Amino acid sequence: MNCRSEVLEVSVEGRQVDEAMLAVLHTILLQRSTGKFHYKKEGTYSIGTVGTQDVDCDFIDFTFVRVSSDELDRVIRKAVAEFKDALGNSGSDGMGQISLEFYQKKKSRWPFSDECIPWEVWSIKVNVVNLANEQERQICREKVGEKLGEKVINIVEVINRHDYLPKMPTQSEVDNVFDTSLKDVQPYLYKITYQITDSLGTSVSTTMRRLIKDTLAL
Amino acid sequence: MAHFDTEYQRLEASYSDSPPGEENLLVHVPEGSKSPWHHIENLDLFFQRVYSLHQKNGFTCMLLGEIFELVQLVFVVAFTVFLANCVDYDILFANKFVNHTDSSKVTLPDAFLPVDVCSARIRDNVFVIFILIISGVFWLHRLIKFIYNICCYWEIRSFYINALKMTMADIPYFTWQEVQARIIEIQKEHQICIHKKELTELDIYHRILRFKNYMVAMVNKSLLPVRFRLPLLGNTIFYTRGLKYNFELIFFWGPGSLFENEWSLKPEYRRGGNRLELADRLSSRILWIGIANLLLCPVILIWQILYAFFSYTELIKREPGSLGARCWSLYGRFYLRHFNELDHELMSRLSKGYKASSKYMNCFMSPLLTVVAKNVAFFAGSILAVLIALTIYDEDVLAVEHVLSSITLLGVCITICRSFIPDKHMVYCPEQLLKVILAFIHYMPDHWQGNAHRYETRDEFAQLFQYKAVFILEELLSPVITPFILIFCLRRKSLEIIDFFRNFTVDVVGVGDTCSFAQMDVRQHGHPAWMSAGKTEASIYQQAEDGKTELSLMHFAITNPHWQPPRESTHFISHLKEKVHREAAAGQQGIIAENPEFTSTHSLQSDSEPRSLIANLLMGPPSLASLHLGREGSIHPLSIGVSEGASALYSISPVSTSLHLRGSYPSARLPRPDHPAVVAGRAMTGSGTDARTISSGSSAWEGQLTSMVLSEYASTEMSIHALYMHEMHKQQSRGEVSRHTWHRQESDESSESVSEDIEAARNFPRSSTFPTTSHREGPAQPSGSQQRYGGASDPVSGSFRAQRTPRMPMGGWSEENQMGRHHDPVPEEGSEDELPPQIHKVT
Repeated sequence: MNCRSEVLEVSVEGRQVDEAMLAVLHTILLQRSTGKFHYKKEGTYSIGTVGTQDVDCDFIDFTFVRVSSDELDRVIRKAVAEFKDALGNSGSDGMGQISLEFYQKKKSRWPFSDECIPWEVWSIKVNVVNLANEQERQICREKVGEKLGEKVINIVEVINRHDYLPKMPTQSEVDNVFDTSLKDVQPYLYKITYQITDSLGTSVSTTMRRLIKDTLAL
Repeated sequence: MAHFDTEYQRLEASYSDSPPGEENLLVHVPEGSKSPWHHIENLDLFFQRVYSLHQKNGFTCMLLGEIFELVQLVFVVAFTVFLANCVDYDILFANKFVNHTDSSKVTLPDAFLPVDVCSARIRDNVFVIFILIISGVFWLHRLIKFIYNICCYWEIRSFYINALKMTMADIPYFTWQEVQARIIEIQKEHQICIHKKELTELDIYHRILRFKNYMVAMVNKSLLPVRFRLPLLGNTIFYTRGLKYNFELIFFWGPGSLFENEWSLKPEYRRGGNRLELADRLSSRILWIGIANLLLCPVILIWQILYAFFSYTELIKREPGSLGARCWSLYGRFYLRHFNELDHELMSRLSKGYKASSKYMNCFMSPLLTVVAKNVAFFAGSILAVLIALTIYDEDVLAVEHVLSSITLLGVCITICRSFIPDKHMVYCPEQLLKVILAFIHYMPDHWQGNAHRYETRDEFAQLFQYKAVFILEELLSPVITPFILIFCLRRKSLEIIDFFRNFTVDVVGVGDTCSFAQMDVRQHGHPAWMSAGKTEASIYQQAEDGKTELSLMHFAITNPHWQPPRESTHFISHLKEKVHREAAAGQQGIIAENPEFTSTHSLQSDSEPRSLIANLLMGPPSLASLHLGREGSIHPLSIGVSEGASALYSISPVSTSLHLRGSYPSARLPRPDHPAVVAGRAMTGSGTDARTISSGSSAWEGQLTSMVLSEYASTEMSIHALYMHEMHKQQSRGEVSRHTWHRQESDESSESVSEDIEAARNFPRSSTFPTTSHREGPAQPSGSQQRYGGASDPVSGSFRAQRTPRMPMGGWSEENQMGRHHDPVPEEGSEDELPPQIHKVT
């Protein structure tokens, strides 16, 4: 519970899913990444530099900025691709949710494994719509672009609030706060998860029917 | 996707990130996470643990307690198995003789079976093996939980030591309010909770009491099936720990419960759309849990019996009277609990009300039983006396079979009988007692007031305040009854439960989903009959019953004076406080104005607690003491003040609750309300919380205002407010009569203007039997028995009298006393003012 959670909702066409997701995720990660830390003696450090890159979308009238780190990009693209596949395999016009969770690790004593305590969760709810003709696609292309622009402004607003961020760690603790596996950039520790939900009603009613049957069979 | 490189490019790391020569320009110092207390994941659990460690007086006490519990468990099981299988009872009862070579004495070890026989018996007995396995599993579960708990509490311990800067040895000497204040302090530094910069008291309470608040609200809205109408017993309430455990299992944490985790309701339960399906699902879950209960019933039953046997037999042997003692029932604890009231707060006020409550219950001695008990006690006593006399003469009598056991039995029998024989020198006044009880328990159904003498009221009160024996019996029966309640009663309510959780759950930032009642928002859940008329927008469904929202709000604001309530609530609180303050001030002024010599003449030490002094001020049904004093012939204006204080004391201090007949109790023996402390106390009542927070400028308490005293004041203040609110409620619900009162109030607002008038009226003896002669008092008198207060009031008291029911005048003591002197019948009769005649018990 002890974490902020932000929910964003987008409605996109099937082929726009990955670009829309990339746009949102990259925008958030851009704000939540720093340059690599270079620790010096006397417990000080300096921060490396971060480059940025503009990315144009093919299916949406939109350009977003991302950290110019190919490694990070690869990781995120992989997650988004998995999400898109899952969404496609789910059959009908699925609803899905992809969450980007920033967490901290807390070292525990021996019998317990390290705890991962999230401090901020971004949930992006995706609603895939089917469009009939090219005309609608064209409109959708522009509309989704506008919507994404709004989302980016939302994200920046949230990030500009002076909310809790983990404190800057000392050298020994840097792995508990930042993801140091990347060569050129150092985002806060994050996790991308997704879940696919069919519209809730049907699943409830099916489980319901089964439960009632079980009850009666007794 | 085309990528456009902007000018913001990462410098390649082939050389140092910083341009050469500038390595030291931009250097950061890591803050590090020196404290491990920032950003705690599960704050609910964390605060609960902090609280329970505080309540268990530190780590060592808790550790020892838990270890002993584990040991006890082993002991109970092992000892039972041993008694059942390894003892040769024939030897013990001397039905069989042992062949000893050296002596003829039978020793205890003789009665034990040899180890091999014993273990063979155990092995052959499937039932015993079954029990052993089950308790073994149970014990292991407890052991794992214990080890886990110890690890967790070790963290909490270091939190106390490192973050809160309290050593374990000091914990018992800090109140929870102090611990809480430190936690709030700490939040600024460590950010335990990341949503907010600052925590409030309410946040902490919400987290600790999240589920309790739900349960309190459900009991308040009568959602839980705990009330049953049984053919023989009439209306009964059955609510045991087992049942409570099952409710919690179903709603809060069991598999498939309504809550996703500790702090949030599952999203599907928030939507109204599929409530029917969810209700179906819930009811089938309840069915399954009920069936599981039914299947486990034998195991639980055996456990309960064993546990009860081992924990209570010793107690019963030691003090057989304890079964006749009473305790607050589990239902009572939920009914009486405020929203956001921690366990220790509830327990302390219930314990304060205990004495008065048992006295109240003792009012209802059945005369029939008394006669029977007296005679049984007589016969039993005679036999016992003879047996004891014989024993004293020759102790061989003890060796005769069953003599010792009959002596024991007779002793128990006499003790039981004695509890049915009321004290000869007590006079009870149920209505008054009930008022004293109300001052502590704060809740009470409307129809009790004025019906305190009735058996129905008593029976209903007994549901809250039951015999210990009944409690134990219910606990024993619980495993058998619980599954049926779950299957047949709770299931029917599943739709209501779903609706309840949907309608009354709010998501509070930084806290999660809480019961909306626990927000104590008068606007949302206020009840118009409880002083929130005009402020509340709640429908009947949303209103909390019994004024729970309002009382809880007051209680919380009083126990946590630093808490900043939302605006409407602030308004409500200050409005109420102001009213109470006005009355208090009026009462105080009344005394001082009337008795100029008051402070100088009497300088006896007041030995009573401030609690009683203050509480009385407002509470005082002009209690009998004042009237008794009134009989003392020499009524001097001065003694009026004394009697007022005394009556005040009498009406609330435990000693006086039973209103002993003290027709001519010498006033010198009365605790004086003239001690500076009293005045200070009055001042404090008036200024309420302010007085407590600024620790009072009154010199009388200087240096003594420890937090303990403060919390004592808080509880007193709450008592006053509770009484006041009940009084207002009564007034409001009285309809027609109250119209007059309100009408009067208007004229009273300008009390100064009429003061001379009153001054004149004051010296004029007035017939108490014809209250309408009083130009402003009379019409409000609902019944003849209260007319004695119908005299004119002095100017200051008038204003508050106007807002109270005429039964509870506050400052018009002088008139009453004068009237008592001039017109009223003897005080003994006067003492019946609060009760219908036939109830006045003199035994």
